[in-house]
Amino acid sequence: MSAATETILLWFFAGAAALGAVVMLFARHPMRVALSLVGVMLALAGVFAVQGAHAIAVFQVLIYVGAVMVFMVFVIMLLDLRDPSFTRRASRLLVPGVAVATLFLAALLALVSTAPAGAPADTGTFALEPFSAAFLEEHWLEFELSSVLLLVAVLAVLAVVKGSGRDHG
Amino acid sequence: MMRDLVVVLVFISYAILVLLLFGVLLTWVERKLAAVMSDRIGANRCYLRLPFTRFRIIWLGLFQAVADGLKMLLKEDFRADAHDRFGYAIAPWLVFTPVLLVFAVVPFGGEIVPSELLDFSPGAAAWFGGERYEMQIARLDAGLLVVFAFGGLTVIGSLLAGWSSGNKFSLLGAVRAGAQMISYEVVMGLSVLGLVLLYGTVDLIDIVHQQSGSLLGFLPAWGIFLQPFAAILFLTAAMAENKRVPFDLPEAESELIAGYFTEYSAMKMGLFMFAEFIEVAVIAALFTTLFLGGCNLPFLGDAGFAFPGGGTVALPHGAVVAIQLAVFLAKVFLVSAFQIQVRWSLPRFRYDQLLRFGWTFLLPLGIVNLTATAVISWAGWV
Repeated sequence: MSAATETILLWFFAGAAALGAVVMLFARHPMRVALSLVGVMLALAGVFAVQGAHAIAVFQVLIYVGAVMVFMVFVIMLLDLRDPSFTRRASRLLVPGVAVATLFLAALLALVSTAPAGAPADTGTFALEPFSAAFLEEHWLEFELSSVLLLVAVLAVLAVVKGSGRDHG
Repeated sequence: MMRDLVVVLVFISYAILVLLLFGVLLTWVERKLAAVMSDRIGANRCYLRLPFTRFRIIWLGLFQAVADGLKMLLKEDFRADAHDRFGYAIAPWLVFTPVLLVFAVVPFGGEIVPSELLDFSPGAAAWFGGERYEMQIARLDAGLLVVFAFGGLTVIGSLLAGWSSGNKFSLLGAVRAGAQMISYEVVMGLSVLGLVLLYGTVDLIDIVHQQSGSLLGFLPAWGIFLQPFAAILFLTAAMAENKRVPFDLPEAESELIAGYFTEYSAMKMGLFMFAEFIEVAVIAALFTTLFLGGCNLPFLGDAGFAFPGGGTVALPHGAVVAIQLAVFLAKVFLVSAFQIQVRWSLPRFRYDQLLRFGWTFLLPLGIVNLTATAVISWAGWV
């Protein structure tokens, strides 16, 4: 791919991701929010793919869109539409939220402005094989630990569901 | 750069043309096979009349598919009052587009050398130089993962269609579709892992190349002979993923009218139908690539046939390319026809049976198959 096409595609996907993020913040209906989040994920996958990190792009779609967002859409689908909580534009935590967001943006800008100029070092081709090798040889402990964490979360969910079922008969 | 672009554009047009043709053709095959299996004649009325003559082209009712398509294009696009406009509009496309995208990583032929194909026009041949191209739209090292990534997107389309229709039957269909597709996706992934273990790659072209030899001297080295159980599991899970009989609970007409697309009419409904038939072809293409050797025909090499007895038949490059394309299409067609025959052979599951079948029967079988494959390849018996 030539550099010009790459830049155009990069800006396209980055713009789509930013647009999706803005829509996600301002949309009121939970389903619209979830769909714009799906859009952000897909656009981010596009950004990764343009950069040549195909494995990351595929995992982005596979895990975040194919698994996480499917469950979110599934749950939102079963929400009670007469519940008025999502008809208000902002929650009660609007002011602290905006304050934290401003702080975060300021920190980000400060970091970017103090960062050394110049292109980052080329890390070589990012193929699936070296990725999996590094993943399973160097980071296997973190991987296993996080799977234990997920298992605990599953057990906790089961306990919560069982418990609430007993209360309500 | 320009050359690659031209070649890839040709590949993309070919892929889209083939998939759409399969989508149209399979509606006819389904009618005709249903008729044969229930001892009827089936579609035989639609014809094209040659202009200014009384000569009719009937061709066993093949144009029924065109008539169906025209009917759906010209129908009133009726919408329910309670529908959610945005979700309702994009849902058919969320179902239809990923199905086409999956085909981007499926190799649909062997290697092609444009300069040898175009040797009747020296200018064009010289422009291409001696470049060789694998017949695949996008060669990504994550090939097989792309299939699952895009395959998972259709779930969102089905869920969205059912939810946005504002109809209880649609919502029930969507809930069923979601639960079913998520469950069977796990089985589908597990069934393929054994193959990945044996081939040591997820690049689909590499997988096809590794199936070109022969096993034990007489069997073609196709995945189905290495992993017969995985082949059955994959096809079962893929058909459940496509929500076809016996797994068509999400659109069970006797319970849910048409399930998650009850409120869709005209071509929007047509897109759901069309996506289903194209997915039949895409599943067949994946099955062909993974388990039936892709475009490999036994004894056919790049230079022609080389039989084990020593006999050889030299073929020009164009003929080899054409044979490989045809072999791939024929395998895809046969597997599609098999899926349609299953539809007319088995009754529909009950919903609890369907989920229990997936989680307590197919999933353990998949794990057993994967474990056995891992042990055997670790012990070095293959």
